[in-house]
Amino acid sequence: MGAAGELEAILPGRVYRDEYLVALYSREPSGARAGRLPSAVVFPESLEDVRRLVRYAYRRRVPLYPQGSATSLSGSAVPEDGVVVSMERMDRVRRVSLADGYVEAEAGVRLGELNALLAARGYMFPVDPASQAVATVGGAVNSGAGGMRGARYGTMRDWVLGLEAVVADEEASVIRPGCLTVKCRQGYDVARLIVGSEGTLAVVVSAVLRVTPLPEASPTVLAFFPSLRDLAEAVVELRERGLPLLIAEFMDEETVSAAAEFLGMKVPRGHMLLASVETCREAVKRMTETLLGAARRHRAVYADAAPGLREAEERGFLRLRRSLFPAQLHVSRRVLGVENPLVYVEDVAVPPSRLPEAVEEVRRVSAEMGLRVLMGGHVGDGNLHPAVGFDPGDPGQARRVHEWFHEVMRIAVELGGTVSAEHGIGLLKKQGLRMELEARGSPRLLELMAALKRVFDPRCILNPGKVVDCGGAG
Amino acid sequence: MEELARRVSELASRCLGCGFCEPACPVLRHGPHRGYGPRGRVAAAAAIASGRPTREALASVYSCLLCRACVSSCPVGLDVAWLSRAARSLALRLGGGRAPVFQVEARGRR
Repeated sequence: MGAAGELEAILPGRVYRDEYLVALYSREPSGARAGRLPSAVVFPESLEDVRRLVRYAYRRRVPLYPQGSATSLSGSAVPEDGVVVSMERMDRVRRVSLADGYVEAEAGVRLGELNALLAARGYMFPVDPASQAVATVGGAVNSGAGGMRGARYGTMRDWVLGLEAVVADEEASVIRPGCLTVKCRQGYDVARLIVGSEGTLAVVVSAVLRVTPLPEASPTVLAFFPSLRDLAEAVVELRERGLPLLIAEFMDEETVSAAAEFLGMKVPRGHMLLASVETCREAVKRMTETLLGAARRHRAVYADAAPGLREAEERGFLRLRRSLFPAQLHVSRRVLGVENPLVYVEDVAVPPSRLPEAVEEVRRVSAEMGLRVLMGGHVGDGNLHPAVGFDPGDPGQARRVHEWFHEVMRIAVELGGTVSAEHGIGLLKKQGLRMELEARGSPRLLELMAALKRVFDPRCILNPGKVVDCGGAG
Repeated sequence: MEELARRVSELASRCLGCGFCEPACPVLRHGPHRGYGPRGRVAAAAAIASGRPTREALASVYSCLLCRACVSSCPVGLDVAWLSRAARSLALRLGGGRAPVFQVEARGRR
């Protein structure tokens, strides 16, 4: 009896071997695909289910691929043989304690659902990846997700107080690193070690997450600038004035016109800035004037304001920025003349003051390689998302995009940045991680990471092949 | 029918797998897995169009309410209701005109 058959005996009603379903759980939007399909998808419904599964997998050395909603863009959700562990049936919010400022949610709870529940009580969980409507707590924890509000609220590592997870040992031991409080000195900070570990260290079953009140008001400005420098300087001015920027998103001119064409929108020419400030109701007018003033002082050709993010949304301020991915698809389909191009979205970060240089350098390198790149990003935290499309059926193009991918990472590292801001290492950026650590004179760190992997997962059964290699243990 | 199968495969291959459609689906949360949501139905339609109407693929396209709530959240504009209906036609034909036998599971969640 194979692994799938044995698992059916251990976890009845929770194991599926249907070939269509297995293939469905073996893909993600990055385009990465399983080489050898897993033998089954397993749907644990409780902590005890996860423990039974891990205990079995440990004894039989069966690779486990924990999965949330599989919206990863780094290859981290893609299995290779073994068994996919979908956490979607574990979708209970176990506890909401606004008095103590936390919620405890199981791995399968979607961030959008969590926020709908919190919004009714005037609270939010502020980490908002573009996929937040579908992304799950477990996936966000494991990918160390960020989002548009990163400059103000940081990423998952700033909002995870504690975890419940199962480690790969004989007993499938449960660990509960972290606390219910913000202040927590519990020896080594293992909870945050697991945040961003992409399922390679433990199976995350639930998380204690900090929550925060919804902003009372968030006046928002949409402006277009003649140059990226002007745009960046407007943001610098807002920062120097001490404005609590909630969102500062940008798209460069070429991307704006491609996105506007895709959406059939008429927009001014120029580089787009979408800036939003978190403030109290009484200050909306003053903050709006400050935002508009900064835009005008830095030669904005157009600037418009909305009193809040909801109004900005209704008036379409966010449409351009949200369309980055489909617009790149549209452009690629037309430019390449192929029906189903693949789009790679890069995810680097540089110190925000170096962002204009990064954009110019990425444009230069892309033009040299003959690639049409669209670019948007979070100017507030220096996170840049250049995207290119290519025909996956053309090995020459695929190779060129692969080279481009590495060039973009090199640019980020040279400007003092990092190869992945919020999407993770997965399969696609392992070489990039090595390059970054070597450039920083820190190659030993990679060995320490591999050693940590062996400590947590000595038989290399948890999402093997991602982030770091297992060496002989696999 | 060949033409319909070709069209289904072609449209389904446009799916990015982003899952942005899933929160809109009224069925998904009551089903046992992702197949009971629009992202899963696109893949199920493709499987049926390629002549592989597995049990879960059939459950996927037959559990669709055809409500089209997901259409507006699809970044590439796929009409999942149309794909589900087309896949049902194809499944009927694969069964030689006999309605396929399928089983839809409901889970008592929320």
